[in-house]
Amino acid sequence: MNLFIDTHLNDVIIILSENGRIKKEKKILNEKQNSKIIMPLIKKMLNNEIPESIIVVNGPGSFTGVRLGVTIAKTLAYTLKIPIYTITSLECMALNVGEEDKIVGFSDKNGYYIGIFNDEYTLVGEYEYLSNAEFEEFSNKYNVILDIKINYEKVINYALTKDSINPHIVNPIYIKKIDVEK
Amino acid sequence: MKDINILSIETSCDETSIAIVKNGVEVVALTILTQMDTHANFGGVVPEIASRMHAENITMVLEETLNKAKMTVEDCDAIAVTYSPGLLGSLLVGIEFAKVLAYVYNKPLIKVNHLIGHIYANKIGDNLKFPCLALVISGGHTELIKMTGDYEFEKLGETQDDAIGEAFDKVARVIGLKYPGGPNIERLASEGKDTYKLPIPVNDNTYNFSYSGLKSSVINLVNNERQRGNEIRKEDLACSFQTTAVDELKRKLELALKNTNIKNVIIAGGVSANKYLRSELATICQKYNATLDLPEFIYCTDNAAMIGAAAYPLFIKGEFADLDLNAESNSQIC
Repeated sequence: MNLFIDTHLNDVIIILSENGRIKKEKKILNEKQNSKIIMPLIKKMLNNEIPESIIVVNGPGSFTGVRLGVTIAKTLAYTLKIPIYTITSLECMALNVGEEDKIVGFSDKNGYYIGIFNDEYTLVGEYEYLSNAEFEEFSNKYNVILDIKINYEKVINYALTKDSINPHIVNPIYIKKIDVEK
Repeated sequence: MKDINILSIETSCDETSIAIVKNGVEVVALTILTQMDTHANFGGVVPEIASRMHAENITMVLEETLNKAKMTVEDCDAIAVTYSPGLLGSLLVGIEFAKVLAYVYNKPLIKVNHLIGHIYANKIGDNLKFPCLALVISGGHTELIKMTGDYEFEKLGETQDDAIGEAFDKVARVIGLKYPGGPNIERLASEGKDTYKLPIPVNDNTYNFSYSGLKSSVINLVNNERQRGNEIRKEDLACSFQTTAVDELKRKLELALKNTNIKNVIIAGGVSANKYLRSELATICQKYNATLDLPEFIYCTDNAAMIGAAAYPLFIKGEFADLDLNAESNSQIC
């Protein structure tokens, strides 16, 4: 059984999958106090079973949200000595659009995270964070696909084809600049 | 009785620290990874960067601590973690990490207040005797507390405005010293003389403190001298400020020693690393035949060993936290 953790925005999504199929799934939407609910939820869903691998969405998104999910995932992988795989929030979206080249994105109120992907779901260049004004200009020139409905079974199965990562070096990707970096 | 080993975690500010503490008094292993050099580039702790570095390093800090102790998490009896006060994002990394350990190894989880941790730093080596007066002095706190037993606190007084450590940091910035301000003021002060006349903060019969007036008068003095084109004797100003700031502690501690007749005094918190302060307070204690106990230098600044020491009485009482534990940026000792 594989444990999937996605806390990159305000939603908490925990999924257990087995043999390529989703076995248990829990989505808590618009959660304000992620830290209070994530571990109790994981404990309840695992129900004393030990997962054989972990997949975590390592951003970009809410700094604290991503960091909670990643810290839990890497510590679980490290202590249980099981493989850990990462997938980005924008990869999850790109996987759920057709196979053509595409630009996918999502908003966090102040702006948009975007990524350009080729027909093999590989990122072209780097992720970008655009302010709302920048995004408006950008989206006049290019077609950015937003509000993508995600098929998590597809996401999990794709993530499991990647190379697993040493838990010590599993880290969030942040993209958005903080004040001192500007 | 069987030995109790507590694995403890501290990430409330800019140190990622994990320790294993035996029976609340003996440090089996301690790792402190400080981020001070990174934050020095920005002139102070940048909360988001602190949180990022905790998340990057915490599993490696655990590995190092276990290697030093030649133990596994399985060998430990409980997991303790700082939950308050501190930077929320930083506290959360330690808390989630602690919850995973408690869950995976099926160990009780203990939540520890960071300030109580600083007090219990004195328990390492078993120097915490009751009743005692505890002077908690840090970047966020200046409190005089009476303790009659484990986790039995009575607040005698506290700062009405700035904390003493905050005043040190701000004065350091005004006279052009780098972060961290406290140790740099102390270094500079040791080369100077107490020649600048600064106002006495709270000259009354309460146990309360005040540092904002003292801080402002230093800022005003610097501005006035600069306007007049006068050179500031930085060493002397650092010395005058430090002397006045410490005098305030001495006066209030003396009042408490006189009124309570308590013979044990401890100092806790980051500012207790100041050597001038240590020797001045020791002199006052001597005058009243009281013993002054100070944590070893390494346990004065933020570290996980003190969290393990403070967790032990809670372990004995069976006061455990659940997996829904959350961080709190502010909280009181009592």
